[in-house]
Amino acid sequence: MDQKSPKNYLVESILVTIFCCLPFGIAGIVFASQVNSKFAVGDFEGALSASKSAKKWMTWGLILSILYYVIIYFLIFGLLGITLLSVGNN
Amino acid sequence: MRKFKYFGFFLIGLVLILLYFFVNPSETNYYPKCPLYVTTGIYCPGCGSQRATYELLHFHFLGVLKQNLLYILGIFILVYHLIVSLLNTVFNKKIYNYLYHPKTPWILLIIILVFWVLRNLPYYPFNLLAPH
Repeated sequence: MDQKSPKNYLVESILVTIFCCLPFGIAGIVFASQVNSKFAVGDFEGALSASKSAKKWMTWGLILSILYYVIIYFLIFGLLGITLLSVGNN
Repeated sequence: MRKFKYFGFFLIGLVLILLYFFVNPSETNYYPKCPLYVTTGIYCPGCGSQRATYELLHFHFLGVLKQNLLYILGIFILVYHLIVSLLNTVFNKKIYNYLYHPKTPWILLIIILVFWVLRNLPYYPFNLLAPH
């Protein structure tokens, strides 16, 4: 087996799980385990497709968390701005 | 383009570090809250990470553990992976990365799931795992 294992995105998935609040990373970890086990039995194609799935889940978890946080920030600062403006007008 | 990307990451990281250094998440409502906790009241495996970041940036390591025990695991795995990849690519070493062992993801997944269940139990000593 001189072929290199496809990237399993385990580190990224775990960071998404622990540091973003969405449990999307857990799906990433499951696919990461498939990358490792399929590569270990010599199924390179299967490992590659699991790698792609792991990347997909990890990326979506990341994007959704970022979107959620950005939207919340806009809401908070938007409301804060409106409140400040209305106080200033009185 | 790649340089630009790394610069972007660096800039975002710097802003986040400054933000979490100066503003304590426990004392303000301006930080976004975990969507799972807000909707269901259940702590997820990531709850407490923002407060843990604040504690870490002030070198209160006990505080990090109190907020989220797995924070340490995340940092350990990240550092381990970076060191092994660095040695293998830059210094042409052939160190086996245990993150590519078939059993590792399952063990980590079980740790995270057990932690998730235990920190939601309202009984001592499990309630120590919940963020404070």
